Amino acid sequence: MRPTTRPQKGHQWPGIIAIICAALASPQAQAQTPPDTSAAAIWRATSRLGYAPTPASAQAAQKSAETWGLQQIDEAHAASQTPPKISPDLAAFNAPINELARNYHAYTEERKARRQERTNSAMSSTEMAPSEPADDSFRREMLRGANTWHLTACSDPATEQPLLAKMTEFWFNHFNVSATKGNTRPFVGHYLVNAMRSNALGKFEDLVLASAHHPAMLLYLDQAQSSARGLNENYARELMELHTLGVGAGYTQTDVRELARILTGWTMRFSQGEAFYFAAKRHDTGEKQLLGQTFTNAGEAEGIAAIRMLAHHPATAQRIAKRLATTFVSDQPNPALVKKLATTFERTQGDIRAVMQTLVQSPDFWLSENTLLKTPLDFACSALAAQGGVKNERDIKQTLTFLSQAGQPLHAWATPDGYKTDAATWLAPEALTRRADHALALGSRMPEPTYLHPFLSTTSRERIEHEAPKLRSGLVLASPDFMRK
Amino acid sequence: MHTPYFSRRLFLNTLGTGIALATSSRVWAQPGPAGSKAKNQGRLVVVFLRGAYDGLSAFIPYADPYYHQLRPNIAIATPDGTTNTALKLDATFGMHPAMAPLLPLWQQGCLSFIPAAGLPQPNRSHFDAQYQMEIAHAGKTNGVPGWLNKLAGTHKTTAIGVGEANPNILSGPAKVKLIPRGQAAERTGVLADPNARQALMDLYAGNDALGAAFHQGANSRMQSAQELATEKTESNKRRSMAAQQEHKDDTPMSAQAFATEMKAANNGATDPIGLQLDAHHLSTLMHNDPQLRLGFLSAGGWDTHANQGNITGTLANNLGNLARGIAQLRQEFNAPDDTIVVMSEFGRTTAENGTKGTDHGFGNAIWLIGNPINGGKWHGQWTDLTPGNLNDNRDLPVHHDYRSVLAQVLRHTFGLTDTALANLMPGAQWDKRLNNLIRSSSI
Repeated sequence: MRPTTRPQKGHQWPGIIAIICAALASPQAQAQTPPDTSAAAIWRATSRLGYAPTPASAQAAQKSAETWGLQQIDEAHAASQTPPKISPDLAAFNAPINELARNYHAYTEERKARRQERTNSAMSSTEMAPSEPADDSFRREMLRGANTWHLTACSDPATEQPLLAKMTEFWFNHFNVSATKGNTRPFVGHYLVNAMRSNALGKFEDLVLASAHHPAMLLYLDQAQSSARGLNENYARELMELHTLGVGAGYTQTDVRELARILTGWTMRFSQGEAFYFAAKRHDTGEKQLLGQTFTNAGEAEGIAAIRMLAHHPATAQRIAKRLATTFVSDQPNPALVKKLATTFERTQGDIRAVMQTLVQSPDFWLSENTLLKTPLDFACSALAAQGGVKNERDIKQTLTFLSQAGQPLHAWATPDGYKTDAATWLAPEALTRRADHALALGSRMPEPTYLHPFLSTTSRERIEHEAPKLRSGLVLASPDFMRK
Repeated sequence: MHTPYFSRRLFLNTLGTGIALATSSRVWAQPGPAGSKAKNQGRLVVVFLRGAYDGLSAFIPYADPYYHQLRPNIAIATPDGTTNTALKLDATFGMHPAMAPLLPLWQQGCLSFIPAAGLPQPNRSHFDAQYQMEIAHAGKTNGVPGWLNKLAGTHKTTAIGVGEANPNILSGPAKVKLIPRGQAAERTGVLADPNARQALMDLYAGNDALGAAFHQGANSRMQSAQELATEKTESNKRRSMAAQQEHKDDTPMSAQAFATEMKAANNGATDPIGLQLDAHHLSTLMHNDPQLRLGFLSAGGWDTHANQGNITGTLANNLGNLARGIAQLRQEFNAPDDTIVVMSEFGRTTAENGTKGTDHGFGNAIWLIGNPINGGKWHGQWTDLTPGNLNDNRDLPVHHDYRSVLAQVLRHTFGLTDTALANLMPGAQWDKRLNNLIRSSSI
């Protein structure tokens, strides 16, 4: 096998196939094979630091999958600092946030007026007013844009750098907001792109701060309504339990309330076109004690200081390290790896790019026993990527339906914990057959992705070759090999 | 169907209570009356309300003045006989009017609740508390099977779950059946095509976890989708026959008139949706396969931190959907030893918060439905909402460990011995105060 091999045609990959066969046949050969030049390493790198290999990335990773992986981190970081490529017909969801807030406000006002009009006409009429369904066009339209962009971004390297797409998903899930909550729905896409994507390989504290200031989060966890006189502790609790410290970190119910008091006044003022607004009048000006630290009245700055403190807490480093290791390496990551990642996190004050470099450079990332099963979203994005990205509206609809039925609806995980990524959650017998439904449906309208053949086991490849041509594309996507990452 | 059963039960009830009180205080249960054999014929469905539902809005201590004081905006009004107030159950509790579909069950004596139950220690994290309740193994944080899975394993039976990919309560070494929510469960999909099916079975012929799962899943799905599709056809037939029956004296109807008529015969309802449909799927499959003795359903959207409403609003809608789902389940899951448990990870604060909602609390009501349940009354200890009675000055206390409630049910439905209960839920204790929960004639 030479690096110049053109990957578009499967039969030009005998070298890689020979390596896999040798590795399978002899454990000694496996030990001697440099792990990062095998097809397995390329599959692992492209499927984990992104969603799936493309003909181009499969070739690019051939020299050294590790070098390729490290390059992805730099490229993803660079891409995160550039605007996303969103087609103009979808771009409304990504309007500047204050504009989006104003648009949403105008929409809700108009809806209110129309409802009032209906009530009035119903009262003046002897007949029953026709019951119109609630008009949800604005929120639906914003979510449609977000969903379409997300599926395009995760499956097409020309739209989005693949690792950046993966990291954006990771953080969105960590700081989950959900379109199942009506008032959060129009902001979900903006949050994904502007709070998560742009900080995806930056500093962790910036992610927490961006999330805390965004209307999607302010609304989703009810922070927007909390005030000195009417405290709501929902966001404060999840900020410590889920976003930063983790449940066993030793904070108390008193800490939850104190943090909620610190954050009073963090809200928005859509009527003035302000997507974030610190309402000084609603702020609790008294002294607070959070994790042994005293906070005296300093308005919004109090909350920022508290968030910084939480973001830099050792328990947070541990928690983020564990979640990254679980997502990218193994369902049960080696504690030594988690410790190593946490050390980098602490040393660099939460620099995600550095933590990801440690992760890709660790032997654990490349160990064959550290298997991972694709989640339904991994599977759906990788299947789209295998056909060269989203081709039409039908691809989007079918993928969204598949994700909902699989129990991982896009942007609609209802609870703030986010979905899990482990096989114990997603390896459910009937669910596996539903992946096959989706694979065969997509496969029926795409040419066979022969560039994936080298990544299939010999057995799978031979079985697929025996089948009718019209089934083959789907069977590649439905194969057990394609379920792993 | 259960009337004769009912009266026999009432008679024996008195006797059973006497026996329970007479026995000594071992850590776990007392042995049954001499010569009696623990039963092991029941079936159990657990309905988990994820997000901590507000039990004080479901079962309302309307007679307690503190209840109304603590909840100026969200309290449900004292019963006045209309549907704008709580539906009166007894002198202490009323039921949310949105739960009216369950009132007949209370009146028939097969619905009960334990108003202040929960985890032994306060745990205000949804996810941690749910996990604890699903594994029922105090002190463990990972690697422990769910208790329904464990029970399926020890009893050589199969558990079935609807909706969630693989909930903790069902996960573990025993094989379980998991079907999706909604109409997707009725579809065989690509497996209906023999060529595609064979190709997939061959592709997954490998002797590994994925291969085994795929084969198990394909067989399970073909069977369940077929059963559910058949049931759907038959229930449509039943409905159209009912419609025709009503119209037999009239001239033949047009297709449209016939459709209207069908809808009318079904009391205006179309095909069941949401939790009702899932409940129907669950009970159909459990009915067809006697091996399926354990069922699991879940419902979300209970984390009402803001604007939860009172007789109408978010929570009322949710309770209404739940009540219809449970009523549907009970209609089809009503053999003599069938039991439904409705539970949630913790309760919510007794006082409303500053945003007309409620925050994370502690004690909460667990509901029980079924013929073995000594219903039409509530069980266990209840202390009113007087400030001194509250946990942390804000929550209902837990008077009964949730495991003690489950133990009563499991002893009855699955005949679990002391040892079996101790293995299933390590560290839990038998709670004699709940000995009247199961009708003695059922023991």
